[in-house]
Amino acid sequence: MKNTLLSLNEASRTINSGSNKVTLLDTINLNVNEGEFISLMGPSGSGKSTLLNCIGMLDNFTGGGYTFLGEPVHSMKERNRSKLYKEYIGFVFQAYHLIDELTVYENIETPLLYKNIKSSERKGMVADMLDRFNIVGKKDLFPVQLSGGQQQLVGVARALIGKPKLILADEPTGNLNSKQSEEIMELFAQLNKDGVTIIQATHSESNAAYGSRIINLLDGKIV
Amino acid sequence: MIKSYIKIAWRSLKTNRLFSIVNILGLAIGLATTLVLFLFILHERSFDTMFANKDQIYRVLLNTTEDDLETWAGVPSALAPELKANIPNIIKSGRILHHDFGKTASIKAGGGVFIEDKLFWSDAAILDMFEVEIIKGTGSENLNNPNNILLSERTAKRYFGDESALGKTVSVDNTTTFEVKGIYKDFPDNSSLDFNAIVPFMMQNSAKNPSWDNASFETFVMFNSEVDHINDVEGSIQTILDLNVKKEEQWYNFSLQPLAQIHLYSSEYLDSYTANKGDINQIRNLTALALLILIIACINYMNLITARSQKRATDVGINKTLGASVKDIVIRFYIETGLITAIAMILGGIFAVFTLPVFNDIAGKQLDISVLFSIKILGYLLLIWLVTTFLSGSYPALYLSRFSPKEVLKPSSNKGGAASLIRKGLVVVQFSASVVLIIGVIVIHQQLEFIQNKSLGYNPDNVIAISTSGIRGGASGNALVNAFEKLPNVSVVSRSQGYPGIGVSGRSINKPNTEQTMGIQTNRSERNIADVLQLKLVSGQLLPEIKQQGDTLVEVVVNKTTVDFLGLSPEEAIGEKVAMQLGNNAYICGVVDDFNFSSLHSPIGAYAFHNASREPKSYLLIRFKNEVLTETISKFESTFKNVAPNAAFEYTFLDKNLELLYEKEQRTANVGLLFSILAIIVACLGLFGLAAFMAEQRNKEIGIRKVFGASVSRIVQLLSLDFIKLVLVALVISFPLALYLMNSWLQDFAYRVEISWTVFLIAGILALLIAFVTVSYQAIKAAIANPIKSLRTD
Repeated sequence: MKNTLLSLNEASRTINSGSNKVTLLDTINLNVNEGEFISLMGPSGSGKSTLLNCIGMLDNFTGGGYTFLGEPVHSMKERNRSKLYKEYIGFVFQAYHLIDELTVYENIETPLLYKNIKSSERKGMVADMLDRFNIVGKKDLFPVQLSGGQQQLVGVARALIGKPKLILADEPTGNLNSKQSEEIMELFAQLNKDGVTIIQATHSESNAAYGSRIINLLDGKIV
Repeated sequence: MIKSYIKIAWRSLKTNRLFSIVNILGLAIGLATTLVLFLFILHERSFDTMFANKDQIYRVLLNTTEDDLETWAGVPSALAPELKANIPNIIKSGRILHHDFGKTASIKAGGGVFIEDKLFWSDAAILDMFEVEIIKGTGSENLNNPNNILLSERTAKRYFGDESALGKTVSVDNTTTFEVKGIYKDFPDNSSLDFNAIVPFMMQNSAKNPSWDNASFETFVMFNSEVDHINDVEGSIQTILDLNVKKEEQWYNFSLQPLAQIHLYSSEYLDSYTANKGDINQIRNLTALALLILIIACINYMNLITARSQKRATDVGINKTLGASVKDIVIRFYIETGLITAIAMILGGIFAVFTLPVFNDIAGKQLDISVLFSIKILGYLLLIWLVTTFLSGSYPALYLSRFSPKEVLKPSSNKGGAASLIRKGLVVVQFSASVVLIIGVIVIHQQLEFIQNKSLGYNPDNVIAISTSGIRGGASGNALVNAFEKLPNVSVVSRSQGYPGIGVSGRSINKPNTEQTMGIQTNRSERNIADVLQLKLVSGQLLPEIKQQGDTLVEVVVNKTTVDFLGLSPEEAIGEKVAMQLGNNAYICGVVDDFNFSSLHSPIGAYAFHNASREPKSYLLIRFKNEVLTETISKFESTFKNVAPNAAFEYTFLDKNLELLYEKEQRTANVGLLFSILAIIVACLGLFGLAAFMAEQRNKEIGIRKVFGASVSRIVQLLSLDFIKLVLVALVISFPLALYLMNSWLQDFAYRVEISWTVFLIAGILALLIAFVTVSYQAIKAAIANPIKSLRTD
């Protein structure tokens, strides 16, 4: 029996748009165990990204309960919440979102700077990561000098450097061609095998198939 | 961490060249201006601080109590000795007199003839108070005996070259000879007192027979310690005055001015002999202007940094998801700002080095850039750097650090209504300031034009005044007149104590059978003066041609204002006896129409030409025919030298001298122009940045419009219109402000222009034009871009 990483209990999110109340997420019940690889599927506007944001604590549920590693996130203060996600969650974005002014090496190093890790230690960790992703030769290049697939590789490396328990990926292959997509998904599968929990949002059936579980969303509800 | 921030900031500077250049340039201009003005203000504030006794030294001021309440720096010669004798706290008191009541001296020394404009008659106590440092010979004690002279180091060198000056003879105006007894160190250039040569005041008639009438002597006193209750001392001075002058004959009282205030707080005072008068209002205005430009530059910085908020938001979002705290982000922006301001500071310093000579030139100063490198100043610079960084860094730091990381995952297109309002507000502020400056420059210029072209009631063109101070006795004075009258291009010649535009003797005139008195300028002169100046005789006759020596009858030609005061018509006034301190035998023989004998700052007062032999006739006034000027002058010089070989030839043109009266305004106009240009450049940089931002923001909209067929000109119109609106708002704000400010500036003139609506029209069109040119570059760039590019980015 694996440990529960997070659980959502009737979690929902509504916003006011003008005078209308719009429900973005509707009473979601979800348990995620450590080591799972979940694919969120659904058409545009079904609430995939919102759910990822809320799980990633960048956004809040407006109702229901959210427990992460046994801690009730919904009753936490902003400060503790961001502490939690910095510690345990890594993000991968569709548009990669590397920092343009930094080299590959420096991009990967950035999360460690925010964790106040010592310089010598940082060097080792970044070197390991470059090695593992086979991008040592590219460490001094800037993002604009890389292909989309390579940029996303760096994005994943950067998400992993902090040793997160959970990776949240919002359409990680949305900007990539099929070959590059395949490589990234292979990488995710490998990471998952190594013990990292992954939740990805995707449109693609084939990408979704890499996951151990598929959750379909429609109009903010799990179907 | 900090290293990483600096790295990011530096690389981002390099990638966004245009933004960086605009940004840094704007800040550098603002900082350069601030630096130059900072130097100027420091220099102005340093005046007289080098004197050890500065806190104990005061100058006595005279306040007239009748008519227009004026303050004079000259007081009667009887006052100084009385002060020391009767007020125990005063340990020293002394008087100074600029040679011949403010004239240049003709000096013969070491075989040469020199014109000396800073020869002063002084009491010994003055030198003791200010601790004038003697480097050769002996000091202040020489001023207690006649015919001794002390020279400044520079002056001794000028008169005698490398020879030792001690013991040598100096002749002043060919009338008196002095022996050089001591050489003192030159006064520093930030000293209010500046003497090239000092001779004993005790030789003056006013020292031998001190009076309470002639208030022409600048008087300083020194207390035994710092004074707490200056009012009490002024009370004691009033008591002294009451003992010596009958209450009903007092037309003035006295006050004390601390030495520290002399330089900056005396611009309104008359009759001051101190050099380098400053003006605290000018300092205040310039400080405000410098701050304004710096603030505008800082506003630009904020505008440009936050303008690219889409990219910034993403940056902030990414960093937050990677674990950055709000504090990290805030620090990051301060570091980025600090880096940019540091570069701008250095660049601004370089600009300052190059603009300082220009500033010196137009402001008439001698500031030295080297003072920037003293430890104290570098400390101030560090402070300026920190303040600038703080000012311009705060808004981006606090505004941008608030962005939530989810912006990254779902960039919202519509954000910051308030922010864009602030941004627009900032542009409006910048342009309002620029428009006020433009209007100010135009109005100042118009007023100066007006002054220079105003009919003065006399004709200052083609009149030359030659100093005759160096000529002894009446005989050669008349010989000079005769010699000049024979010259073909000379129309008419007259000798005179002074001429319009310089001070003559201040007296007061009493209205018969009343206690009313009025200040009157009296000018000892001759019959021809009216023809030289082309004055209009209203009634009676001019001064008689000949006056016998020893004749106590005094004839007076007064101006219209004088007879108005006396309550007489010009015709009735003829033959009336007048009480105006010219003896008991003075009668009006003629009345001339009013003319502007001083600057147009003040209305016309009472003026009189007379032939009492109380004052010397120090000038030869010549109206000449307008021919080749250089030839005329050399002809004049040789004629002068023929008659008076031992006197220095020194001359002034009356019209040139008048221009000097408005030198301050001319400088204000020039400095104002410089500032306006700077402010406009900086404001344009800001507008340019904002236009770039708007174009970036509306990239997609422009793309869509183009796909649906909008022409380039339509899009340029669309983008420019927004800014034109902002400039219009700025105009609405700035017009009343400018009107108010310029009207209050014009209050300083008794004769002034009306501010016409065309000034506003010109300023408005200028501002719109500048804004349009600035914006259209970005607008056209955005309009001709390929729409596919902008639409693809989403």
